[in-house]
Amino acid sequence: MMKLSDITKVYGKGSLEVPVLHGIDLTIEDGEFVAIMGPSGSGKSTLMNIIGFLDYPSSGTYELNGEQIASAKESILARLRNEHVGFVFQQFFMFPRDNAIKNVASPLVYSGVSKRERTARAKDLLEKVGLGDRMKHLPNQLSGGQKQRVAIARALVNNPTILLADEPTGALDSKTSEQIMKLFTQLNEEGKTVIIVTHEEEIAAYAKRIITIKDGLITEDRRVTS
Amino acid sequence: MNIWESFKIALSSIWNHKIRSILTMLGIIIGVAAVIIIVAIGQGTKKQMTDELFATDKNAIQIYYEYIPPEGEEGMFWEEPELTSEDIQTLSEVPGVKAVLATNQGWGMMVHDEEQGEMQITGVGPEFFSARDIKVVEGRALYAADNDGLNRVLLIDTIAREKFFKETENPIGEIIDLNDNPYKIVGVYESPLPEQFRNMESGEMIMPRSVISMMFGNREIEQLSVIASDPESISETGRLAAETLTAEKGLENGKYSTNDFEDYERELNTMISLLTLLIGSIAGISLLVGGIGVMNIMLVSVTERTREIGLRKAIGATRRKILLQFLIESITLTSLGGMIGIGLAVIGSIIVSKFSPITATISPLIVLIGVSFSAFIGIIFGLLPANKASKLSPIDALRYE
Ligand SMILES: Nc1ncnc2c1ncn2[C@@H]1O[C@H](COP(=O)(O)OP(=O)(O)O)[C@@H](O)[C@H]1O
Ligand SMILES: [Mg+2]
Repeated sequence: MMKLSDITKVYGKGSLEVPVLHGIDLTIEDGEFVAIMGPSGSGKSTLMNIIGFLDYPSSGTYELNGEQIASAKESILARLRNEHVGFVFQQFFMFPRDNAIKNVASPLVYSGVSKRERTARAKDLLEKVGLGDRMKHLPNQLSGGQKQRVAIARALVNNPTILLADEPTGALDSKTSEQIMKLFTQLNEEGKTVIIVTHEEEIAAYAKRIITIKDGLITEDRRVTS
Repeated sequence: MNIWESFKIALSSIWNHKIRSILTMLGIIIGVAAVIIIVAIGQGTKKQMTDELFATDKNAIQIYYEYIPPEGEEGMFWEEPELTSEDIQTLSEVPGVKAVLATNQGWGMMVHDEEQGEMQITGVGPEFFSARDIKVVEGRALYAADNDGLNRVLLIDTIAREKFFKETENPIGEIIDLNDNPYKIVGVYESPLPEQFRNMESGEMIMPRSVISMMFGNREIEQLSVIASDPESISETGRLAAETLTAEKGLENGKYSTNDFEDYERELNTMISLLTLLIGSIAGISLLVGGIGVMNIMLVSVTERTREIGLRKAIGATRRKILLQFLIESITLTSLGGMIGIGLAVIGSIIVSKFSPITATISPLIVLIGVSFSAFIGIIFGLLPANKASKLSPIDALRYE
């Protein structure tokens, strides 16, 4: 369970200060499927980065499973990024010279898993995301949808409890987007907490809870009953 | 992630930018190769010069006469005092003296059958053979009686034997012609001189110094040296012998002195070391410049790979691991450069040794210093870029355009 209380974020300093988040209160239980919506520039990515330990909030508290981590040390955040969350980005972000297996296995390098085990787990996950026949391909030999599958497999490789995706379908066509969203749905059904950022209604529709942000504040938080 | 893993990431990153890596390493390669070759040549020169200078006279020290003109006089014309067998006797009784060598020199044209050649002749006493460790390979050495009796006998060295006689011929007992006078060969000896000092053309000969004095009009003793029983104390023994001789002769306007070989050797070594150090440090500057080149490239590389760093952090790399990765990369780069440099230095020293009289000697120590110094440069000049990389915030790095 994660509990954010009165989270603010201000970019820049002095006269260049840009306040982006104005006091976010948000609690997400394990196993939820949440979509964060809102217009461009409203602070969705900023909030997502704080949730995923990629950035510090300017103020407020962040409790993860009862532990305070808003002001934790860099090395502890690195560990949380490595083990606790899996991040999927709109721009995929791959190691361009490494093949799919190596890209998927890359987080395991930092958690001290042996090479044999890394390769085995990466292969399993590539099978799972439907890329069993693309394992040795380099990122530039893969389509956008395939790259995003690699990125999802990479996010899953350390078996995290939370899966974070910032506009994961933003660079994909609608058919591919649908496939990716089905994959997220499946992962949520298997027990992962899934949080995705999107500004598209159709994408948000896959989630069971939709949070809307405007100008750095939560304006709506509704559960979808299907 | 262990060091080996970081090392592999570093190697693949170097491999992925081959041209750039080689250009970066070039400064280190040239620097290390230059330093090692210069030091190797310096050490080779030092060894060769001391070997040559002291090859024959490691435990013999020459005693020579020095004229001291009286107050107000020019001292243009002076005569060296005659040395006698009593003087030699006195010298041989000086503590620490093992033997006294008294010789003179002559040149002569030797003719035998069809052959002829200019030869250097050393006039010696009977002590010469044992004191100088002369190996007589055929016939006999010279006896005291040869000197006392003015016997016109001589020994030729193996070079002369080869020139004047067939291998099957027996030169012993042959009468040869030297400056139109007949002499009898009584022996053949192996020259004790190092090859570069021998007369390879015609060889040399030895005869009683009294005979040289009689036939050539030389003084009987022209060169005087003493051999010390303890080579370590040769300088002291020589000084003591010179002082004893000066006192014995009761000289007023002159004295006997020695060359202090140790001083000589020390001076020579200092000079070569200084020269090596000087040129070596100029080459060392190239290493420094190479190091700055490495730093520059690593800084460029950090900027270029900002997104990669961001991604590594996003998937769980700590600051320390990023720091280590870039540090290992720069150390690998410079160490590799150092090793290539050493390889070039080895090839260079083989070439130098082959085509010049100097034997360039690469000591394992200098190789060790070369490798560790280039690794050290990697640490020093890699630290700044690595630190810069490690401090990037993951999200800023990912967003970097
Ligand atoms: N590093 C930054 N420095 C300054 N301003 C930033 C930075 N990152 C984002 N912003 C600003 O914060 C606001 C929210 O950005 P973001 O969270 O990316 O919005 P969204 O993802 O909802 O489009 C935008 O106005 C953006 O310009
Ligand atoms: Mg965004």
